Amino acid sequence: MSEEILKALTQLFAIITKQDGGVTQRERQFVINFFQTELDQDSIKEYVDLYDQFSGYGKGDEDSGKSKLTSVKDSVKTLGICKKINKTLTQKQKVIVLIKLLELVATDKNFTPQRMEIINTASNVFNIVQDEYHHIENFVITEDATSLNFADILLLDKGHSIDESRLNKHVHGHIEGSLVFMRVRSVDMYFTKYLGDESNALNGFPMQVNRVYLFSHGSTIKTQAGDALYYSDLVAHFNEEIKTTKLSFNVSIEELKFPTGAIGLRNVAISEGPGKLIGIMGASGAGKTTLLNVMAGLVKPTKGQILINGFDINSEKDKIHGVIGYVSQDDLLIEELTVYENLYYNAKLCFADFNEEQLHKRVMEVLENLGLDQRKDLRVGNPLDKTISGGQRKRLNIALELIREPAILFLDEPTSGLSSRDSENVIDLLKELSLKGKLIFVVIHQPSSDIYKMFDKMIIMDTGGYPAYYGPPIDAVTYFKKSTHQVDSNRGQCETCGNVNPEQIFNIIEAKVVDEYGQPTAKRKISPPQWYDLFKERFKINRVEDIKEEPPRSLRLPNKLKQTFIFVTRDTLSKLSNKQYLLINLLEAPLLALILAVIIKYRSSPGGTEYVFRFNENFPAFLLMSIIVALFMGLTVSAEEIIRDRKILRRESFLNLSWNSYLTSKLFILFTLSAVQTLSFVVLGNLILEIEWSMLLPFWFVLFTTSCFANVLGLNISSAFNSAVTVYVMIPLLLIPQMILSGLLFPFDKLNEIISTKGKVPIIADLMASRWAYEALVVDQFRNNSYEKPYYEFEKYESQADFRSSFLVNELDKKRKFIFDHLTSKNDTIRRAVEKDLYIIQTTLQNDFYKKGFEKELASTWTVDKLSPDFNKKLEDFLTAYKKFYQDVYNKAVEQKEAAIFKYENEEGSDYDINRYKDKYYNESLADLVKNVDEKERIIEFEGQLYQQINPIFIDPRPSGPLDYRAHFFAPKKNLLGTDVSTFLFNNIIIWIMTVLLYVALYFELLRKLINSFDGLGVKIGKGGEKAKKN
Amino acid sequence: MRIVIFGLVLALFTACGSGKKSDEQAFLEGLDSAKAEGPSISEGVIGDILQQIPSPLEISVLLKESGKKYNAGYLNSPDNISKYNSNFKKALNLGVYGTDLGYTNIYEQNQDGVKYMASIKELADGLNIGQFFDIETIGRLATNSKNLDSLLLITTQNFNSINHYLQTQNRSNLSVLFLTGGWLEALHITCEVAALNPNNKELQETIGEQKIILENIMLLLSFYKESDQNMASLLTDMEELKKIYDKVNITYTYKESTFEIVDGVMVIKDNSSSTIEITPDDISNIKSITTNIRNKVIS
Repeated sequence: MSEEILKALTQLFAIITKQDGGVTQRERQFVINFFQTELDQDSIKEYVDLYDQFSGYGKGDEDSGKSKLTSVKDSVKTLGICKKINKTLTQKQKVIVLIKLLELVATDKNFTPQRMEIINTASNVFNIVQDEYHHIENFVITEDATSLNFADILLLDKGHSIDESRLNKHVHGHIEGSLVFMRVRSVDMYFTKYLGDESNALNGFPMQVNRVYLFSHGSTIKTQAGDALYYSDLVAHFNEEIKTTKLSFNVSIEELKFPTGAIGLRNVAISEGPGKLIGIMGASGAGKTTLLNVMAGLVKPTKGQILINGFDINSEKDKIHGVIGYVSQDDLLIEELTVYENLYYNAKLCFADFNEEQLHKRVMEVLENLGLDQRKDLRVGNPLDKTISGGQRKRLNIALELIREPAILFLDEPTSGLSSRDSENVIDLLKELSLKGKLIFVVIHQPSSDIYKMFDKMIIMDTGGYPAYYGPPIDAVTYFKKSTHQVDSNRGQCETCGNVNPEQIFNIIEAKVVDEYGQPTAKRKISPPQWYDLFKERFKINRVEDIKEEPPRSLRLPNKLKQTFIFVTRDTLSKLSNKQYLLINLLEAPLLALILAVIIKYRSSPGGTEYVFRFNENFPAFLLMSIIVALFMGLTVSAEEIIRDRKILRRESFLNLSWNSYLTSKLFILFTLSAVQTLSFVVLGNLILEIEWSMLLPFWFVLFTTSCFANVLGLNISSAFNSAVTVYVMIPLLLIPQMILSGLLFPFDKLNEIISTKGKVPIIADLMASRWAYEALVVDQFRNNSYEKPYYEFEKYESQADFRSSFLVNELDKKRKFIFDHLTSKNDTIRRAVEKDLYIIQTTLQNDFYKKGFEKELASTWTVDKLSPDFNKKLEDFLTAYKKFYQDVYNKAVEQKEAAIFKYENEEGSDYDINRYKDKYYNESLADLVKNVDEKERIIEFEGQLYQQINPIFIDPRPSGPLDYRAHFFAPKKNLLGTDVSTFLFNNIIIWIMTVLLYVALYFELLRKLINSFDGLGVKIGKGGEKAKKN
Repeated sequence: MRIVIFGLVLALFTACGSGKKSDEQAFLEGLDSAKAEGPSISEGVIGDILQQIPSPLEISVLLKESGKKYNAGYLNSPDNISKYNSNFKKALNLGVYGTDLGYTNIYEQNQDGVKYMASIKELADGLNIGQFFDIETIGRLATNSKNLDSLLLITTQNFNSINHYLQTQNRSNLSVLFLTGGWLEALHITCEVAALNPNNKELQETIGEQKIILENIMLLLSFYKESDQNMASLLTDMEELKKIYDKVNITYTYKESTFEIVDGVMVIKDNSSSTIEITPDDISNIKSITTNIRNKVIS
């Protein structure tokens, strides 16, 4: 209280007392007592003098005629003083001042109209409601408890029940006389006074009879008979909301074992109803947060259960969803969004049935309650880039939970890192909530005395997960003091200042044995199990009866589609507001395209004079790089998504929101981003490298597909690992195999024989999206460019016919000669070679289109024994005819192609110029790649089959069944369930199937489960077989 | 959501499922019934005529003996290869490059020779006759001028075997184009050299002698004029040349051959001689028309 105010008060006291009869000794004594509570000894004298001067004490009585005149002057003075007080004191303080004034008058029972008039004026100026003023007046003045008959009064006496007609509340207690409590509703304060003869103690100090005391947070009254009345109990009686809230919370944790085998909690039992603010304290490592997590259902106890209204929170989750709120120690905010947006989207996810206006109102309401309404349009920012203060962040975190009004709220160190002012605000807010019927558990560390006293109950945990105390906070100090037989053990708080020192508790609990030199040793005087034994003796936990109805909740979740939509909007907004993220992600692709394309563009024409697309030897590598870029961008953009959201997901896990909706929203945003990125990449790449524009769309689609695949892959690793660093380390591990097995860098037939095979892409490469994407791109670029498109079919027959007539038939004829030269050989090796060759000839011919005149022979099985010179002749003739046939096919195909070229070039009005077309649309290096021109062996024999090594782009695959999807690399088409599908379409389908499978894995979090099972392995090995069997 | 995705994939499968007879089947069956169009003259006859046309390399030797220096400007640049995208052009220019390679060889211009060989190999690949060129061997030989003989031998052999192979493959049309290209380039170079040596009788006679070869070539081209429009238009160009050559007279005087013993070996000596009447005007006309046709071929 400032000097100025004290002076004003002194004047006020003086004015009142000097009215109607002047100052009496008792009144003066009351004022002196008041000064004693507010001032030090030296100043009291000064103020008493001041009081005497104003009140005219000791000057003798004035005549009554004069007194009327002064009273008008005094009234004006009073008004002035009250206005001054009004400006500096809070409403609560003003109520106290008012009560003091009334008490002052009551000391002498000199209730003259003039005195009361002045007090009334003061109450008016203080803006105290008239009704309330009357209540206060009655409460202070009366000496008969029964006369107080209104709702804000609670009487405690030995009577068992009261008259139904009375408005006041009543509690039975072992007490003579009556203890009266009054609530001042407007400021939510409680006052008490005792009317009787016993000696009761308020917070350890004796109560004077008929003296009004402030009954503040955490106060206790001990009656002479030993009853204790706690603040929280009292408040519960006044609060209708608590009475109507149906909530029971029963925790009995017998044991909680960590995966490492250590025990986290032992025999913890907690039982509470609605409207309590309960603190959890303990030394570090005592299991405070663990207890909180177990109670919130985040961790399942090894033995024991947690019941909310009789529903087990672990096994009957659906019955209680939305009932629990959890505010973790970390910030669970979306940093890119504003304070308002954070709350708004959260509310939107919780209240499907609210319209925009209602949502806005609700959000604003919560913001105002938490004093955040002035900050609502500020971006939350991160701790390094602060826009709102730590206390505001904390309050926002709490607001996010409050907005949906969970019945039970858990907070993990909500005050850590906050100033004492902010801490008090936060706890005050929680206290208020508890008064509205919420059950609130708070892990708290080093609370200040004021905060400590605000709790209704305190749970104190000791090292090793032992409970050490469970009860009213002030009693904790006395309990521990008593247990260690300390002097002064009845005093829980400081006699003069009312402060409690919670540190004392831990000093007692953790007191160390001292060695002979007076140095504390590591050994504790009383070990945790010993404290626990004491605890067991002393505390009997009365189980709150389970309420058999579903707990109250206001949660109404939107449907899954709507959830997706909300997630998408929220995420998009947060991404849009992150300028760096946006800029990097949108510029990355065009920048890479620019770098890549500009570097590999050179004067490629044969004379080296200009750039001609046809001769750009870097084009095949460019296509591969494009795919790697798409994969890389896809991975990096998604790899952090879930990790970054994990905290928010944890918070929202209490809402039971759809995981699928969340993932779908991620996919929607990432796919959109991928589409934009790949499009900008392709457009710029095409522009610089002068790739045909009609190839743009398929090129883009392949990259988009690849990028989407990478997105889902990235989300998988993002959901599986715990830190962003691990995820980024994973990226090369995922990307490099994609590069190795893409098909360009290392030819598939020149890989380790464990994986390599001839004539088909190795299975391991089939697992790589890059290989499918690259093949799709290359085949499409080669087949469908404007130059090649009209001639592809001709060239295909040309090449296939040429291969058969010039190479295959010769190979077969060589084998035929070998067979018939060695028909009679007895040498085993040779015989086997003969058999093998015979098999090769037959199967090769059987698979061929041309069988004319030889169908019958091919239909039967050929064995070495059945071969005759006659057959030899027949086969020789057939091979000659075969060769002739394919020569014809070849010539025909060439001729048709030449005719087609001639036709295009000489068509009326056409500007077709084959050279120009080829220069602009065809790429020689790409053609060399798909025609495999560098291969010297045009035909090879591998495991009883002949394989064509050249021109893979012209060979149609020969599937063995409808499900045989495998083909050689660069096959022009593929087999999809028995039908021919272009490689482009087929490969894209494959990548999309891979993407869908990855999504399924993501949905069920398979990768995370797999990794977790590895994590658990070490423990299992340590524990031997028993546990392994269980799992 | 997942159901929707699976549904989409399934729809895709079924949409693609409406199978049709494979293209290959259709194409080959159509081909089986229709006989490939070709010249009405048998391959054998064509082969015989082809045999009578001397290799262009033989002309090259004559050029060197004329004492003129190497001039790459006479030749078709190997970089032009990108312009040859139809088989017709490829075959003609394979011949052109063959002659150019011979020309660089006799002047021992190995650096240029290697470039021509690379272009020849590429064209041959394009015609599916690349297997006759072992570019590595040729490249190795070309680095050393002492290997000139073997290089020439290999190249000549290659051209011969290509001709032979093409005939066995019923692709004599390519042989014809190939020889036509080679001959045209040789004639072009000879004309260029002759223009610088107006007094070299031998060169002029050589040019005149080409009348006989031109007639053969035109005969060959005429076999294909019905079936191949490109060859028909080439034939039309050749007819222009023929008109000039009509003014050139070749009189052949026959004399009994005699036997002579040279170093103990009996040799048959041809005593017949032919006289060629050709005017400088004819030569310059031939030069300009040849250049025209050649420019069309190599462009």
